Amino acid sequence: MTEMLASFLIPLLMPLLGREIADMAVNIIVILIQIAVVIGVTLLHVAYATYWERKVIGHMQLRLGPREVGPFGLLQPIADGVKLFFKEDIIPATADKPIFYLAPVIFFASALTSLSVLPFFDGFAVANINIGLLFLLAMSSLGAYGIVMAGWSSGSKYSFLGGLRAASQVISYEIAMGLSLVGVMIMAGSLNLTEIVRAQHEYPVGLYAVPQILGFFVFFVAMFAETNRLPFDLPEAESELVAGYFTEYSGFRFAMFFLGEYTGMLIMSSIGALCFLGGWTLPGFIMKALPFLSSLPPFVWVIVFLAKVYFFMFLYYWVRATLPRYRYDQLMNIGWKVLIPLALVNIVVTGLAKIWFRGMP
Amino acid sequence: MKTDKLIKTVFFIEILKGMALTFRTLFKPAVTRRYPLVPVPAKPGFRGLHALARDEAGKMKCVGCGLCGAYCPSQCIHIYTTEGDDHNKVVDRYEIDILRCIFCGFCVEACPFGAITLSERYEYADYSKESFYMTREKLLTNWDKYFEGEKGRQYFKDFWRPLSADFKGSPEQAMFSKIKQKGKS
Repeated sequence: MTEMLASFLIPLLMPLLGREIADMAVNIIVILIQIAVVIGVTLLHVAYATYWERKVIGHMQLRLGPREVGPFGLLQPIADGVKLFFKEDIIPATADKPIFYLAPVIFFASALTSLSVLPFFDGFAVANINIGLLFLLAMSSLGAYGIVMAGWSSGSKYSFLGGLRAASQVISYEIAMGLSLVGVMIMAGSLNLTEIVRAQHEYPVGLYAVPQILGFFVFFVAMFAETNRLPFDLPEAESELVAGYFTEYSGFRFAMFFLGEYTGMLIMSSIGALCFLGGWTLPGFIMKALPFLSSLPPFVWVIVFLAKVYFFMFLYYWVRATLPRYRYDQLMNIGWKVLIPLALVNIVVTGLAKIWFRGMP
Repeated sequence: MKTDKLIKTVFFIEILKGMALTFRTLFKPAVTRRYPLVPVPAKPGFRGLHALARDEAGKMKCVGCGLCGAYCPSQCIHIYTTEGDDHNKVVDRYEIDILRCIFCGFCVEACPFGAITLSERYEYADYSKESFYMTREKLLTNWDKYFEGEKGRQYFKDFWRPLSADFKGSPEQAMFSKIKQKGKS
C-alpha cells in the first residue's frame, strides 16, 4: 500500500521539489494518512465500544440497552457525542484555569499517542520503534498526570479525592503491570511489539498466555486498575465521589476524559492481545492444518487482531456487570501483597527457565 | 485455612461462578416493557376512566339518587337534579373531577342501578385541566367508546354489575308475591 502511494506521488512531486525532498514529503504524507486512518478507526471503535458496553451490560441485567436512536439504537453514540459537543462548558470559579484546561488534553493526547506504536497487522505500525512496550507504559503513566491535574485543579473535594486515589492506584498497579510484562520481554527477547508477536508465532503454542499464565493473570487484574474500570473504579466511584476526578468537567472537556478512558481500554486490550494472545497471528498448528491461510494478504490479519481486542473488551464489560467495587484497602492489598510478588516470582521462574533451555547468554 | 477454601480463594471460584451467572443471563429475554411502542394491556377489572352506563334502549341508567356522590371519599362527583314532568328526578348535570378521583371504585359499589362504571382506559394525559373535568355527555361518550357492543356488555357484566344483581332470595324469605313468583319461575 505504502509503495503504491509512493510510486504514484513521487513522479508528481519530483519536478516541484527535487528527488530528496519529494521522498521526504511522500514519507510524511504516508505517515499522516496512516495517523488519520488509525485515529479515525479508533475513535469509531471508542464510540461503538460505549454502545456495546451498554448493550452487553443491559442484557446481562435483563434490560435492553439503547434501542430508540436509529435501528437497534445504533446511532446512540453519535447522538451522545453531538449532545456533549453542544453542552455548556462550565468552569468552576475556584478552578485553577490553565491546569483545568490542560488536564483533559494531556489525558486524551497520551491515550491517542499510545496508538502510534501498536502493530495492527504485520508491517503496519505508525511508528515501529524498538522500545514499543516501554513507550506504552510511559504513555499510560503520563495519562495519570492528566487525571491528577484534573483532580487538583477543579477546586472540589470530590475531584481532589478522586485525583488522589487515581494517583496512588495507578502508580501501584503500574509496577505490577510492568513486572508482569517483563516475562514476555524475556521470552521474546525484544521490546518491539512486532518482534514480540513474531517470536510468539514461532513459539510452539503460539500464545504467551500459556507459559506466562501467572504474568497473564497479573496483567489481567492490573489492566482493570490501570484504566480505572470496575471493580477498581475507585477514582470515579459514583456512590462515594459523584464522578471522581472529572466531577467538575462538562461538555467537550468531559467528552475528552470519556474518550481517553475508552481509548485506554482499547490500548490495554491491544497490549493483552499482542503480548499474550499472539496479536494478529493464529497459533502455528492451526496454520499448518489450514495451509490456505498463509497465502492471505497481511492486512486480512487485522480481523484476527481485532477479534482478540474485542474479546478483552467483552471481558471488561463482563467483569463490570458481575463484580462490585473493591474497598480501597483491599485494592492496595491486592496490588502490593499479591500481584507484585506474583509478578516477581513469574520473572524469576521465566528467567531460570530461559537459562535452563537456552543456556547463559 | 482449609484446603477447599484455599483452592476457592486461589482460583476465584466464587468470582467465576458469578461471571457464569451473568453470562447465562446475557441470553435470557429481557424483562423490559417498551411501553409507548408496545401498549401494556390492562388487567381485567382495571379501574380506569369513568363511564356512565346506558340501558338497552340507549338511555342513561342513572336516576340521580346521589349515592355515588355521597360515598365518594374524595368528593369529586357532583350531581344536580331537577323535578321532571312526571315527578321523576331528571339528571341535569353529572360531573366527575378526574384529577381529584383516587379510582377506589366505591361509586360503582354504591350505585344500586349499575349506572356508573370504570373502563380499562388509562392513557388520557392532556395539556389542559378542562379535559379532566368529565361532564354527563363526556361520560356517556366514554360508555359508547369503551363498552361497545356485546363484548363491552359482557365485560360490564363480569366486573362492574351492581351488587343487587347477585342477590338471590331463599324460598323461606318473606317477599312481595310478584317478585317471589318471578324468582321461582
